Amino acid sequence: MINFAHGEVMMLGAYSGFFVFEAFKAIKVSTEPVLTFSNAYPVLAVLIAFLVGMTVSALAGYSLERIAYRPLRKAPRLVPLIGAIGASIFLQNAAQLLFSPQLRDVTNPEILARGTGWSIMVNGSKVILPYTGVFTFVLSLILLAGLYLVVQKTRLGRSMRAVALDKKTASLMGIDVDKTISLTFLISGALAGAAGVMWGIHNGLVYYFVGFIPGIKAFTAAVLGGIGNLPGAMLGGLFLGLIESLGPAALGIDFQLKDVIAFALLIIVLIFRPSGLLGERLAEEKL
Amino acid sequence: MKATKLLVVMIVFTLLFTACQTSTAPTDSSTDAAVEGTPEVCATDAFGCAVFEAGDVVKIGMGAPMTGGDASYGIDISQGGMIAVQDFGELNGFKFTLVAEDDGGTAEGGAAVANKFASDPAVVAVAGHIYSGATSAAIPVYEKAGIPLLSPSASLPALTTLGSAVFNRIVFTDARQGPPAAEYLFNKLGKRKLAALHDGSDYGKGLAEAVAARFVELGGEVVITEAITKGETDYTPILSAVAAKGPDALYFGGYTAEGAVVVNQMKQTGLEDVVFFGCDGTYGADFLARTGANGENAFATIAPIPEESAEKAAFDAAYLEQFGKEAGSLSPYTWNGYDSTAGLISAVKSIAVLGTDGNLYIPRGALVTAVRTLTDYKGVGGTYTCDATGECNTLPPMFVVVKDGAWVPAD
Repeated sequence: MINFAHGEVMMLGAYSGFFVFEAFKAIKVSTEPVLTFSNAYPVLAVLIAFLVGMTVSALAGYSLERIAYRPLRKAPRLVPLIGAIGASIFLQNAAQLLFSPQLRDVTNPEILARGTGWSIMVNGSKVILPYTGVFTFVLSLILLAGLYLVVQKTRLGRSMRAVALDKKTASLMGIDVDKTISLTFLISGALAGAAGVMWGIHNGLVYYFVGFIPGIKAFTAAVLGGIGNLPGAMLGGLFLGLIESLGPAALGIDFQLKDVIAFALLIIVLIFRPSGLLGERLAEEKL
Repeated sequence: MKATKLLVVMIVFTLLFTACQTSTAPTDSSTDAAVEGTPEVCATDAFGCAVFEAGDVVKIGMGAPMTGGDASYGIDISQGGMIAVQDFGELNGFKFTLVAEDDGGTAEGGAAVANKFASDPAVVAVAGHIYSGATSAAIPVYEKAGIPLLSPSASLPALTTLGSAVFNRIVFTDARQGPPAAEYLFNKLGKRKLAALHDGSDYGKGLAEAVAARFVELGGEVVITEAITKGETDYTPILSAVAAKGPDALYFGGYTAEGAVVVNQMKQTGLEDVVFFGCDGTYGADFLARTGANGENAFATIAPIPEESAEKAAFDAAYLEQFGKEAGSLSPYTWNGYDSTAGLISAVKSIAVLGTDGNLYIPRGALVTAVRTLTDYKGVGGTYTCDATGECNTLPPMFVVVKDGAWVPAD
């Protein structure tokens, strides 16, 4: 089943990051000159924001699994899918009611201010490599590496791959299927939370609907790279982002058509290489 | 299984039966011409009368974005309308009320709200809709139902060329908002290379194109015209493409939700020396809050702030007291919201008939004509006279600029 509510889990992480930064903005460490907690201890502030965001999202992912997906595990394939869509709608509207539909702006610590970065000259014009962009990229790579290690090298990872391959046989081998699935959702929730906080830091805009498009694009990226393939998902995401940003300019067409290009590409890849760019790799190759 | 089928059939019939029940709410009396006390005008009126019994409330509707990124506009204008209802909303013991429904500022929302109002017999007129996109979808519905509109802010020029008998507005059209902006950019600010950006909506696109056309007429050069996708958070690719063309001014037709993001990202895409020129959709406290220092020296065109008068002072005081914000800080149409609602109420009062049975009869066709023929209506924002197409205001827009984090009139 596809977890359509994953975007909403990310949205909850983004909101947590926003509230943490708001709180730190309000705490003043000194008054002359005025220094907020975020600016005085930026590393600590960012770290706490990520911890809070990841925790909240991990719990959200775990609750989602326990409440919405576990009871439907034995149902026919379409039912958990609809349940996921329902969970997504529920979380969006709950967030709208709890946090108001107002668009929120995240205040980064000064050293990570949005729009600032390294200036480089390209072809005679100035291009800015934003600090927040590089930060997001590097952190994503680190998290991906961590996830890859967990899935490939640890016992938990082996259980995950086994359960993904064949639930019944895995349970016969002594694997606690329920616990494995719950832990998977905890980890995926935590990563979505990290993505949410990164979204807040880089894009600055947090509101109840912010998880919808990233959720769809994440699914697209995963399919593009190959379902079940972690490096593939990252590659798919990178590929998708590049095509969206550079496509319209390179092809000389309207920027409004960037989503059209991205999804047309998805269709083409699926027609000619249905298992994705790096191919499906669930668990058959390594043990 | 027979019992289940019978149950289903019974449920369906019950639903149909209750749906077809006549309600006890005010009814259209076009078929009850012979009832005692009903004025003759109801029998001859093209749309019949709205009948209000003692204790019923006369509703003035309003369709506006009340949730989402543009909510501050809907909330602000509906609050202006609420004060109008408090000031004028009473006729022979019958009270008026403003019913503001959320149309999201979109065409789908506008049509949905229009259908809702058209099916409510207590709604006699609509002070809206607020957004042009929603209004253009709503007009056909109101046309059929005989509900007149007086919009405080729908400025799309095409709306009064549709041949509609019900649509009227007290705001300038974008045909009067766009060209002055181009002239200001060319003459006052001395800009020669314009980048015209819009959000793809009827309103934004119409404005950007009007400005671009006038700018070219004056002798300037429009280096690029592009549409952005609404609701996104990252416009750096398109802004980089704009920067590559080397404009010295950027005109944006659209709303604050996207405008603020564009302004914030202009610096990092090499557009920090380019002047940002917005429209009445990018004005307001929201824009200031979301752009902060980046919004410094951003321009906009807005409905002119009314001159000081006793009525304006009274309205401003009432607004501040009830809603805790300065009138005109959230959107430039607060006073228009007040005037359009008050104008509709005065039109209703001019043609409403108190029947001998104590009911209030409001002939709908007569109301449509009354609003269309509004003459010299003195509101807080000016004196309005509606012409044959529904344009009721001839005042041009005024220019404002952000200085030190606040909107001030530009010279």
